[in-house]
Amino acid sequence: MTAVITKDKKVTHNNKGNSKVISSTKVDRKDAKLALAHIMVAFIALFVGGLCGLLQVLVRSGQFKLPFGIGYYQVLTVHGVLLGLILTTYFILGFQTAAVSRTAGALSNKQRKTGWVGFWIMTIGMLAAATMVLLNEASVLYTFYAPLQAHWIYYLGLTLVVVGSWIVGLAQSLRYIQWRKENKGQTSPLLSFMVVVNNLMWFVATLGVAAEVLFQLLPWSLGFIERIDVLLTRTLFWYFGHALVYFWLLPAYMVWYAIVPKIVGGKIFSDALARLSFMLFLLFSIPVGVHHQLTEPGIDGFWKFVQVVLTFFVVIPSLLTAFSMFATFELRGRELGAKGVFGWFKNLPWNDVRFLLPFIGMVAFIPGGAGGLVNASYQMNQLIHNTIWVTGHFHLTVATTVVLTFFGTAYWLIPHLTGRKLTKKMNNLGIVSGILWSVGMVIMSGAMHIAGLFGAPRRSEYSTYGGSEQATEWISYQVAQAVGGTILFIAILFIIGIVVNLLWFAPKGEEEFPIAEVAEGAEKTPALLENFKVWGVILVALILIAYTIPLIDIVQNSPLGSKGYKFW
Amino acid sequence: MANHKKSDENLKGTLYATFGLGIFIIIVWALCFNLFIDRF
Repeated sequence: MTAVITKDKKVTHNNKGNSKVISSTKVDRKDAKLALAHIMVAFIALFVGGLCGLLQVLVRSGQFKLPFGIGYYQVLTVHGVLLGLILTTYFILGFQTAAVSRTAGALSNKQRKTGWVGFWIMTIGMLAAATMVLLNEASVLYTFYAPLQAHWIYYLGLTLVVVGSWIVGLAQSLRYIQWRKENKGQTSPLLSFMVVVNNLMWFVATLGVAAEVLFQLLPWSLGFIERIDVLLTRTLFWYFGHALVYFWLLPAYMVWYAIVPKIVGGKIFSDALARLSFMLFLLFSIPVGVHHQLTEPGIDGFWKFVQVVLTFFVVIPSLLTAFSMFATFELRGRELGAKGVFGWFKNLPWNDVRFLLPFIGMVAFIPGGAGGLVNASYQMNQLIHNTIWVTGHFHLTVATTVVLTFFGTAYWLIPHLTGRKLTKKMNNLGIVSGILWSVGMVIMSGAMHIAGLFGAPRRSEYSTYGGSEQATEWISYQVAQAVGGTILFIAILFIIGIVVNLLWFAPKGEEEFPIAEVAEGAEKTPALLENFKVWGVILVALILIAYTIPLIDIVQNSPLGSKGYKFW
Repeated sequence: MANHKKSDENLKGTLYATFGLGIFIIIVWALCFNLFIDRF
């Protein structure tokens, strides 16, 4: 059998002369519109959410007051919801739609229609939630912890965002299932497989937040029930909340595993290793949410310990990923004649924004991951719990590792979808945006980490705490955060400018959607790694082990419950 | 198979870099543990 790549399709020919399209080198034009719609909403969210981030750090410096009666916590809610939930979810679903269309083939008309239905449900939900926040009816931050009570439309809006994301994810997964049916016995395209793993994880994880909103927050905010079990809501939130982190991260890993190797001119070190690490992320992303609740009373210490142990297992796929990326880089560097143990670093394409931004993301994940293990350590969590260290931590992981990988991806994906070219000038501006982002984030996140170790609280407006000596120590770090945050906002202006150029003004042409091939010496991928039934059973078993008894305890020992509060 | 052997021989940098990451994680954890022991 031979394989040839025509203008936009990869076709196999067997000995009898029959041919079959196995993948396209381009995203289908109709699918491209669906993907672009998601990506455009994501970048609008980046601009508005980023502006609110700038306002926050300025307020916290003590040198600026919000005008027109706008509240600090209102701005904080906009920032968290737009960047933590909207930018990420929309970009991920847009990227995943393009990835499936590119590697498994164009969506059918029904699948694409399903995708559009999901997009509009999400968008209606987002607009409803945003309206309530702007009306100051829902300044409850993106974690929407009870007993803070928002307007019911806010909860309903966020529910629609989640339901819409299920529907878009379903459309992508149906295309993968169709591919498997049409290509029995063959290993599926790596990128499509990864998309389905991420969607499965998202679906299982969001069941927790759906239960929280539908059975507790909505009836409570509508006045059908007076009181709510705060611990139960928080436990259901974090069942979802930690997996949310991996829903952000896995698409970045898709880019690292399947796309970056092609950009550097190399190969995927091992297809099997990539799939194994995704399956391990699926297992260890969900039954670990209690590590966000280590200081809370009401959950037995034994079960906290069990979930801490499960959390630490995530080190395994993380280091597998690191090994795989280093191996790809080293093998490529040596092909180009690199000498010495680390000589291959010099041979990487540092002038290519498609590589540089994801690479900075990988580097940021080293301190990000190390900090995460401190957070998840049972007793040591007391050192940093509810301090601004945690804010610094997730600005390294999601707001650097994930989003820089997304920006580096957007710079080639958008022109691929619009039929334009990433010019040398835009490439260079993209590099400037990445460097500005990195400098701003080192200053802001670094100051957050240090101030957190001095006890500075997160989620809090500027205050001198009655002239407290300890609080005085934090102020210089808050000024540093304002400096870093300002540089980050300048980076956002660059990014928006580049995105606008790539959407409407860049020269017409063809921009490649890079997909790497697997290294020739790599072992064949075992079929077990694509057996969703086996991994699904292990996942359900781990969730049942980690959550059944703690949830029974919480419900059986439930207190009277709390009425809703509005402190804004 | 020959290819695979050649790759193995050329992955020293990868091995050291991955170990380096592991050591970095342990050092950060130990420093924070030291702070924790001092305070609690």
